[in-house]
Amino acid sequence: MFQVRYKIPRLKTRISPLKVSLALLTLALVCCLLVTACSETGQPLEPVSYTIADDTGDWGYPSPYTHYARGPGYIRMSFLFDTLVWKDASGFVSALAKEWEYISADNAYIFKLRDDVTWHDGVEFTAEDVVFTFNYTKEHPFQWVDGSIVALAEATDEYTVKLYLSKPYAPFFQDVAGTLPILPKHIWEGIEEPEKFVAKEAVIGTGPYKLADYSKEHGSYLYKAYSDYYLGKPAVDELKFVKISKEMIPAALKGGSMDAGDTPPEVISEMEEAGLTVITAPYAWNAKLTINHQKEPLSSKQFRQALAYAIDREALVQITQRGHAMAGSPGMIPPTSDWYNPDTPQYEYDPARAQRVLEELGYGLENGYFTKDSTELVLELVTIARFKEVGQFVKQQLEAAGIKIDFRTMEDKTVDAKVLAWQFDLAIYGHGGLHEPSILNKMITGEGFNSARYHADETLNELLENQLTEMDQGNRVNIVRQIQEVYAEDLPALTLYYPNWYWAHDGSVELFYTKDGIAFGIPIPLNKLAFMEYKGM
Amino acid sequence: MHINLKEEVKQNNFAKFGIVLLLLMLVIALFAPLLAPYQPNSQTPFAFEPPSSNHWLGTNHVGKDILSQLIYGARTSLLVGFSAALLATILSAIIGTSAALIAGLYDKIIMRIVDAFIIIPAIVIIILVAAYVKPSLWVLILLLSLLGWQGGARIIRAQALSLKEMGHISAAQSFGASNVYLTFRHILPDLAPILSVEFIYGIRRAIFMEAGLAFLGIADPTTVSWGMMMREALDFCYLDVWQWWLLPPGIALSLTILSVTFIGHTLEGALDPRLESEAIA
Amino acid sequence: MFSIRNLALYLIAMLIILALNFLLPRMMPGDPLMAIYGEEALVQMTPELKAELVERFALDQPWWQQFAAYLSTLFTGDLGYSYYYNAPVLEVILGRLPWTLLLVGTALIISTLLGIVLGIESGWRRSSQRDKSLLTGLMALSGFPDFFVGILLLIGFGITLGIFPLSGAITPYSGFTGAALALDILHHLFLPLTALTLCHIGGSYLLTRNTMVTVLKKPYMLVARAKGLSEFVMRYRHAGRNALLPVITRAGIQLGRMVTGVLFIEIVFAYPGLGHLVYEALLARDYPVLQGVLLIVAFSVLIADFLVDVSYSKLDPRIRYAH
Repeated sequence: MFQVRYKIPRLKTRISPLKVSLALLTLALVCCLLVTACSETGQPLEPVSYTIADDTGDWGYPSPYTHYARGPGYIRMSFLFDTLVWKDASGFVSALAKEWEYISADNAYIFKLRDDVTWHDGVEFTAEDVVFTFNYTKEHPFQWVDGSIVALAEATDEYTVKLYLSKPYAPFFQDVAGTLPILPKHIWEGIEEPEKFVAKEAVIGTGPYKLADYSKEHGSYLYKAYSDYYLGKPAVDELKFVKISKEMIPAALKGGSMDAGDTPPEVISEMEEAGLTVITAPYAWNAKLTINHQKEPLSSKQFRQALAYAIDREALVQITQRGHAMAGSPGMIPPTSDWYNPDTPQYEYDPARAQRVLEELGYGLENGYFTKDSTELVLELVTIARFKEVGQFVKQQLEAAGIKIDFRTMEDKTVDAKVLAWQFDLAIYGHGGLHEPSILNKMITGEGFNSARYHADETLNELLENQLTEMDQGNRVNIVRQIQEVYAEDLPALTLYYPNWYWAHDGSVELFYTKDGIAFGIPIPLNKLAFMEYKGM
Repeated sequence: MHINLKEEVKQNNFAKFGIVLLLLMLVIALFAPLLAPYQPNSQTPFAFEPPSSNHWLGTNHVGKDILSQLIYGARTSLLVGFSAALLATILSAIIGTSAALIAGLYDKIIMRIVDAFIIIPAIVIIILVAAYVKPSLWVLILLLSLLGWQGGARIIRAQALSLKEMGHISAAQSFGASNVYLTFRHILPDLAPILSVEFIYGIRRAIFMEAGLAFLGIADPTTVSWGMMMREALDFCYLDVWQWWLLPPGIALSLTILSVTFIGHTLEGALDPRLESEAIA
Repeated sequence: MFSIRNLALYLIAMLIILALNFLLPRMMPGDPLMAIYGEEALVQMTPELKAELVERFALDQPWWQQFAAYLSTLFTGDLGYSYYYNAPVLEVILGRLPWTLLLVGTALIISTLLGIVLGIESGWRRSSQRDKSLLTGLMALSGFPDFFVGILLLIGFGITLGIFPLSGAITPYSGFTGAALALDILHHLFLPLTALTLCHIGGSYLLTRNTMVTVLKKPYMLVARAKGLSEFVMRYRHAGRNALLPVITRAGIQLGRMVTGVLFIEIVFAYPGLGHLVYEALLARDYPVLQGVLLIVAFSVLIADFLVDVSYSKLDPRIRYAH
C-alpha cells in the first residue's frame, strides 16, 4: 500500500505576531472592563458620601496651626475641632459650652461646658482642656485670635471655665469664643513647635468628623464621621473635599460627580433647571479704592470726595461685574447689614460736581485735563491683575472728569510693597469680614496694606475705640452708625462694590450661610452643623 | 547660490497658501485702527453678546468687542514675531560669521556658549525671568531674541566656514579685504537664503512663545494678545461664549503659525535639493 | 573622546542655568532674602531663622562666596523650603514628578512611534496621494499651539460630550484598586495624552520622511528589490529601520520640546504634574519652588540629551569609526 502524500497547502498569510498581540490586548481590555463592571455591584449598604468642589484644593493640614491663613483653611479645620460657642443661620448656639453668662463686675465670662464630650481618641473633654488652650495661645498665638484679649482662664470646676478679659471687648463671641478651637491638653502639652506638628495626633479634636486622608498634591481631604459626637453621629458618613478648576464646577455639579460648590452667576438658572439649589451669600466682601491720603493732593478731604463723585459705582457694577454686585457704600458696611447707617453720605455720581470741587481747590481745566500751576494733574493707579477691568473703568471715569490716570497692573507682592511704603496714589484692593464692625477698626486704623491706615481724625479714632468696648448692643449700633458717617466724610478709602456670591448644591444636605459668617466671618456655606442631617436624593 | 525662488513658490500650493495668509495677517495688523469697528479696550455694559450685526464676534465678559480684540491681537503677535525674529537673525548672522572668520579661541568659546544654550529649553529661562521681572512687550522681544539666535548662529557659521574656503573669498583676502568688508560684501549676501529660513522659523517660534506666555498670564495684561484672549475665554468655558470668544483667536493663531510654517518649509525645500527630488504640488 | 568634549558642553549648560537661578533673585532691588523666598514667607520667618538663612547663603559675603554657598546647598539636596506649600521644595516636586513622567513618557513613546510609522508610509512614495494628504494633515496639525489643541479636546470631549473627566489625574477617594484604579488613571490621562501626542507627532514624522528619501537612494534598497522582497518587508525592515536612527536620537531632543508642551497641557487639564506646579508657583510667586522645578526640569533635559548623545555614538558604528 502506498500512502498518498497530500500536500498540505501552506497558509499564505501566516498568523502575524502583530495580530496575535492585538487580539490578546483586546481580550485583556475586555476582561478589565468586565472585572470593573462586576466589582461595581458592591456592598449592599453604601456609606452616605458628600463631595464638595474646591478650586484651590490644598488649604494645608487641617490642624489649628498648620492650615493656610485663609477662610477655607479654617473651615476644613473646623470640622475636626470645636469652639466654645458656634453659630447657625440665626446666631450663636451652644457648642462645647452649653451656657454662659457675663459678669460685668469682673469683666469675665463664665462658660458651663458640656459633660458628654469626648476627643476622637476617646479621652474625656474637661475644663482643663479649655484653660490649657487659652494658656497655650499666649505662648503660641493662634493666627485668627488676638491672645491678649483673655487675660486669665480659670477652671472653677470640672465643667466650668471663667475667662477674665483684659478689657471690655464687644465682639468677644464672634472673634474669640466662636473662633478659637479647643485643643486636647493630653496631646498638645509639650508641643514646642505647633507649626511643624503634623502627626496623626495633631488632628484629634472633638468635632463631628475625623481626618481619614489628606493629599497635598491632589488638594483633597477625606473626612469620616465621628460616631461619638455629642450631637449624635453626623448623617453624612463621608465628607470629601476635591479639587477642580473653577470653570469646571458647573459641569461637575450638573453631572452629579460633585454635590456642592461655588457657582458663577451666569449659570444659576441652568443649575436650578437641573434640579440644584442655589443659595446667595450675604454681602461680606468689598473691593475698595485705597487712597494715599498722606500725599498731595489726596491729603485734602475735598479732593477725595471729588474722586467719589467722579466714579459711577452703579455703572461699575453693570460693566465690570455684569450686574452681579451691589454698588459700594462709602461707609464700608453694606446696605443689607444690620449695622448699616442709611444716612451715610453716598456721593451720588455727579462728575460736574467733582469738577467744581477741583476748581475750588485751585485746578483749571486745560484741554480736558486739570492742571495747577501749569503742571498737569496725574495720579498713579495700581492694581493686581484680578482687578484689571475695575481699574480700567476707574481710569476711564476719572479721566472723563478731567483727572489724568496712569494705570498699571502689577504683581500682588509688588502692589502690597508699594502700598505699605506709601509709594502710590491710588490702589484697588479687596477684603472680607464686613459682618462684624470690628472690621472697621482693622481696616481704618489697622496696619496691614489692606487698611487705610488713617489716624488723622480724632473723633473717628475715639468712636472706633469705643465701639469695641461698648457691651450694650443698642449703644454699639449707634456708635457704629456714627463711625460710618464720619468715615464716609473723611473718605480715606472708597468702597467700590460688594460682589454677589453663590453656591449650588444638590439638596441632599441643607447648606446655609451662617449668620455673620463662620467663626470670625467666613462667608462660605460649609457649616459643620448642616451635615448632621441628610435628606437623601 | 542660485535658487529660483519664484519658480519654487509658483509650483507649491503650500507656499502660496502661506504667503497669502501671512500677507493678509500683515495687512490686518498694519491697518488695525482702520479695520477694527471699536477700540479693543473699551468696556461696555453688554457682556457675553453673541455675534450680531453690531458685534460680528460678540462681546467678552466686560463688553469689549471681540473682533476688534482679534484684529489688534494680530498686531501684537506679528510685532513680537517679526521683531524678535529680526533681532535674532541679525545676532546670529553677526555672531555666526564672526566666529567663522575670526576663528581661534573666540570661535571655540562662542560655539560652546551656543551649544549650551541650544540644549536648555528656552521656556524654562523665560518663565524664570518673567517671574522676577514682569516683561513689557519690548522686554519680551529682547528676551525672545536673546534666546533665539543660537540655533541660527551654528548653521550660519557652518555655511560661512565653507564659503571661506571658496576662491573669491581668499582672493579678496589676499587683496587686503578686512573681515567686516568680507562679511558684508561677500558672505552675507550668499547666506541670504539660509538667513531667510532662520528668520521665518524665528517668527514662528516667537509668535508661539508670545501667545503661550500671554496665555500663562506672565505677559503684560493690558496688551491685547490672542493668548490672553484665550486665557480669559477659558475662564468662562462653562458658558457658550467659547464658540465666538475662544475659537477665533485660537484659529487665527494657528493659521498664522501654519502660514509661516508652510513658507519656511518651502524655503527649506528650495535650499536643499535632495529633499525635493519630486516636487510636491 | 567624543563624550568628553560633549560632557564639558553639558557642564557649561548646567552652569548657565545655575548662574541664572543664582543671579536673578540677587539682582532684584531690595532684600535678597525676600526675592529668594517671597514676601509672605519673610513675614512668617523668625529673626533667628532669617539670620541662619543669611549665613547659609552667605548673603553678606562677596558674590563668589555666595555662589559657592549656593552650590553647596544644592549639593546637599536642599532645594529650599516652600512657605506656600509648607514643605521642603524637593518633597513638593517629588510628589508631582510621577504624573508628569507618566504623561510625557507615554506621549514621547506614542508620538515617536506614530511619527515613524506615518513617516515611513509617507516617505516610501513621495508625492503619492497618501504622502500629500499625510503631509498636509500633519503640517496643519503642527500649526496648532499645544494649549489650543488641549482646549479643543477639553471642550469637545470633556464639557460638551462629557465622556472624559474635566481635571485631575485620578478620582479622589473613589475606593478604586487594581484594575479599576488603572482604568481611572487612564481615563484621566487620555485627553492630555492625546493633546500632547498630537502636537509632537509632526516632528518625528517629518524627520522620518526626509530620512527615507536618503535611505531609499541607497544601494541596499536596490538589492532588496532585486531580491524580490515584499513591499512591507522592504518598507519596514530595510528602509524603515535605517531611517530609525536619527529619529530615535532626536527623541531625546524632543523631550526638551515636550517640556514646553506639557506645561501648557497640564494647565489646561489641571493635571497635577510639574507643569501645573510651575504655574501654581508662578501665581503665588513661590520662588523656591519655581527655581527648584525649573532647575530639575532643565537638568533632566540636559541629562536626557547627554544620554542620547552617548548612545548615538554607540548605535551608529559609522560615527565611532569616523572618529
